[in-house]
Amino acid sequence: MTTLDMLIKSLSRLPGVGAKSAARIAYHLIQSDGEFNRKLAVQIAELQDRVFNCSICGSYTETDPCPICTDSSRDTSLICVVEHPQDILTIESSGSYFGLFHVLGGAISPLDGIGPEQLAIGSLIRRIKDGHFSEVIAATNPTEEGDTTALYLARLLKETGIPVSRLASGLPIGGDLEYADRITLARSMRGRIRLGSF
Amino acid sequence: MKTPSFKTQAFVLRFINYGESDRIVTFFTSEFGKLRGIAKGARRSRKRFSNAIEPFSHSSLLFSRKRESGLALIENCDIINHYPAIRTDLRKTMAASYLIDLTDHFTIESKKSSGIFQLLDDFLALLERGNGPEETVRFFELRLLMLSGYEPTLEKCFICNRSLDEIPAAFFDAKRGGIRCSLCGRDNQGGIPVSTGTLKTLLMGKQIETNRIHRLVLSGNALRESREILRHFIHHILGKEPKSLQVLDEIGRIV
Repeated sequence: MTTLDMLIKSLSRLPGVGAKSAARIAYHLIQSDGEFNRKLAVQIAELQDRVFNCSICGSYTETDPCPICTDSSRDTSLICVVEHPQDILTIESSGSYFGLFHVLGGAISPLDGIGPEQLAIGSLIRRIKDGHFSEVIAATNPTEEGDTTALYLARLLKETGIPVSRLASGLPIGGDLEYADRITLARSMRGRIRLGSF
Repeated sequence: MKTPSFKTQAFVLRFINYGESDRIVTFFTSEFGKLRGIAKGARRSRKRFSNAIEPFSHSSLLFSRKRESGLALIENCDIINHYPAIRTDLRKTMAASYLIDLTDHFTIESKKSSGIFQLLDDFLALLERGNGPEETVRFFELRLLMLSGYEPTLEKCFICNRSLDEIPAAFFDAKRGGIRCSLCGRDNQGGIPVSTGTLKTLLMGKQIETNRIHRLVLSGNALRESREILRHFIHHILGKEPKSLQVLDEIGRIV
């Protein structure tokens, strides 16, 4: 197998990259300048040595604790619970949340045999009991697994008296009511807000 | 030649994400039994699948396939019932997941089973209406075993044929698929002790019309005994414990 074949084979293992895309990327890299390729190779090689999970929130970081956990300007009374580290980046990009995060590492999925003990729920509970949080935001995905996880957290934290909220589900901005599906529309109706309340 | 299309009602049993935006979905259909199909763009397209591909969703399914054994192409999936009351209750969600998991284990691809389809439909509706999750699960297990040809003998001792009214106590023997009375052997011999009261309630739950099943309430002891014998029997038949059961136990400790 040639070097090029091996590269195509490796690239095609990446998510969303099929054999054709892998070949296109490989041919693009051949034509790129050597310096770019060397930098890319070093960056990939260093990923696992330099990036690890934050010991507090579980996010990907190069320093422990991560910059979010050590940022004194953040609102330490709010904690947003997400399924995966990449969800933090998505929420951060909204520019609308300035509290702390906690990564569960997945969601409860009975059909796949994934229960609470396989997720970072124990460390979340310890954090909440040791901290001074006034709200826990369950920002798990709006799927059966995400909803189940949010319900579980709400039940688990009931005795602490700290409210658990769920991200709202509803109509997309700029969308058309006519094209909304029944479930989203029903949830939007249930979660409607009084004008002037935001 | 154009690939033929078919329309049927279906429950989503499970799915796995495939590639960037596709899903391979296992449905349990009313007309074609268990069916596996690929829903292209399901993770992106809200239009063709309108959130219908979620475990235990009841949907109207349009699919095409060349061969009965091949992977179907899911063309459209419209939701019939999303069970909002189940999805906002942790215990009910766990119970529904278990019903789905059991249905998956007790059905095979391309084998129509109208009885099991109706059973699942009825019991998800019971959960949605507010029936006790634990009772619902027990009676579902019993009826599923019956429809799958594994009905346990609970009405009489499998050795001496004495009826429940004639025996003081009973032991459930998973290997023999029935009860052995205490008169036919005092010691346990690997059987699970079960009271005749529990057995009588289970027998009622097997026969009673589904719309009256909410009237049957199992006591704490009956729930414990029936859970033990049915789970043991299902484990024996499947040769393993359904994955959802372990999660159900884990979560059951706090709810």
